[in-house]
Amino acid sequence: MGEYFIVVLLDDYRMSKIRGTGLEEHIKYMFGGELRLLEVKVPEELKDRILQEFETARVDSRGAITDLPVAFMRELFNQIVEKKSLGPEVVEAVLQKVDEIKKAAEKESEYLPPPEID
Amino acid sequence: MSRFLIQRPLPHGGRLVERVITDKEAAKKMIRGCPSYDIKPTLHFETGVPVRNVYREIMSICYGFFSPVEGSMKQAEVERILKERRLLNEWIFPYPLVFDISEEDYRNLGVGPGDRLVLNLKGKPFAILDIEEVWRIEDPEELAHLTFGTPERNPEVVREPFNKKHPGWVIYRSLQPVVLAGKYTIINEPKLRQPFDRFWFPPRKSREEFERRGWRTVINHQTRNVPHVGHEFLMKCAAFTGDVEPCHGILVNAVIGVKRRGDYPDEAIVEGHEAVNKGGYIKPERHLPSIVLWDMRYGNPLESLLHGIIRQNMGCTHHMFGRDHAAVGEYYDKWATQILWTKGIPSYGFPAPPTDVPYGLDIRPQNMREFAYCPTCKEMAYSETCGHKREKLSGSFLRGMVAEGVQPPSIIMRPEVYKVIVKWWKHFGYPFCNEKYVVNKEKELEVDLEDL
Ligand SMILES: [Zn+2]
Repeated sequence: MGEYFIVVLLDDYRMSKIRGTGLEEHIKYMFGGELRLLEVKVPEELKDRILQEFETARVDSRGAITDLPVAFMRELFNQIVEKKSLGPEVVEAVLQKVDEIKKAAEKESEYLPPPEID
Repeated sequence: MSRFLIQRPLPHGGRLVERVITDKEAAKKMIRGCPSYDIKPTLHFETGVPVRNVYREIMSICYGFFSPVEGSMKQAEVERILKERRLLNEWIFPYPLVFDISEEDYRNLGVGPGDRLVLNLKGKPFAILDIEEVWRIEDPEELAHLTFGTPERNPEVVREPFNKKHPGWVIYRSLQPVVLAGKYTIINEPKLRQPFDRFWFPPRKSREEFERRGWRTVINHQTRNVPHVGHEFLMKCAAFTGDVEPCHGILVNAVIGVKRRGDYPDEAIVEGHEAVNKGGYIKPERHLPSIVLWDMRYGNPLESLLHGIIRQNMGCTHHMFGRDHAAVGEYYDKWATQILWTKGIPSYGFPAPPTDVPYGLDIRPQNMREFAYCPTCKEMAYSETCGHKREKLSGSFLRGMVAEGVQPPSIIMRPEVYKVIVKWWKHFGYPFCNEKYVVNKEKELEVDLEDL
């Protein structure tokens, strides 16, 4: 009990940000190594706070917290890079910006910035 | 010639319905002095959001997708459909299709049986309705329940009572009370808007196209989604059925109509499928993306029946059905469609599959399970063949990835397909259908009309 996690997907851009943070060894692989991801640990208490703050959020059968706003996921990645960690302090730092994220999440139903690909 | 060869089936009902007048002068004469009515969208009975536009039914009927249906149904026909899913001419058909208007509009129009009503779309004359009967929907809620079924009446496959969370139920619940029944005829051919125009293959044209390509056997893939690699494998592996050789063609037929928030935009769906063949994952010579205009009713087995009718009319020999075919929520058994096509569903009027009852269908079902990536086999593996633990790909996982702007690896989604998503994302400012898209789409529709 108490062990929940959030999956953070890593594309090439995010991989370049991760390089040198010491987090490389925690990278997990799916789809024959084609999908790289990190798992951020979320203790019970933080999980409850997340579910309370974001009504779309769900916990799946593996204990993964899903359906979070994109703004939450972006900030989560920023904090991982900044703190060079996958521990609960990352989620705590994200939750400190909860109002900002909620405001962005509201706008997310109207606009999401498209990725820059050619 | 091998006796095992399968031939292209006749249209449902024996001949294609084609009710489109292309001679503008003749059309003008036909409508001279007739009253006219501006087609209105069906609005959600509670929220007022558009949930259907009858123009899509008129298009699908007049171009023969729904053969042998020729128009808005009379009361006796609707009652027969609700009881045994048959038209008055005996041919099987799943849903009531009606031209419904409000009491107020009916009073103002002052029309009745024998009258010809001109139906305008986007301010231009579009079609005529030759009224044969006027009848009333006394209780739209009951009509909605009878259309889809109930756990008590249809215990084989209905698991939950239908309610306002079901978009198909809402369509019937939201119908206006006065039905003008009679045949439709399009008198002013609409032009499909880009990019839908190049995917427009009404049954006559699709049959000609199959002939031109030398496709004797064609399997249809129903879609409402941008294709991921799981879909691609379903398509190409289901095509290994056929007769003495795999199917010659794969017809992708996308149902284009009213959207729900969170769906992919229709533009991305059709071009996404096209990208599969442009990228060579399925050769263009074997693959044809196309559309049909229809506001999905999400009736799982009933919807599959309509899909079978549409694709047989288009000339397909086979139809692929998967889990939760045309389903939403948990109203139906996950495998209800496959049950219909293998055993029948007596409570809907099918003691045998729709291919094995009188006045039934000739298109062959190809029931499929699922493909997922297997790290042991190191390939996309079929759930009933591979004995390992596979990495399942859920739609919401993929959507989350897309929303975050993370490009899915090509074993999940082909880069060409992802590019299409991003193209329309840039266009609409959003990767999925949001409220703005949904509302705007029902204003713009998929067609434009010229003056008559
Ligand atoms: Zn395997």
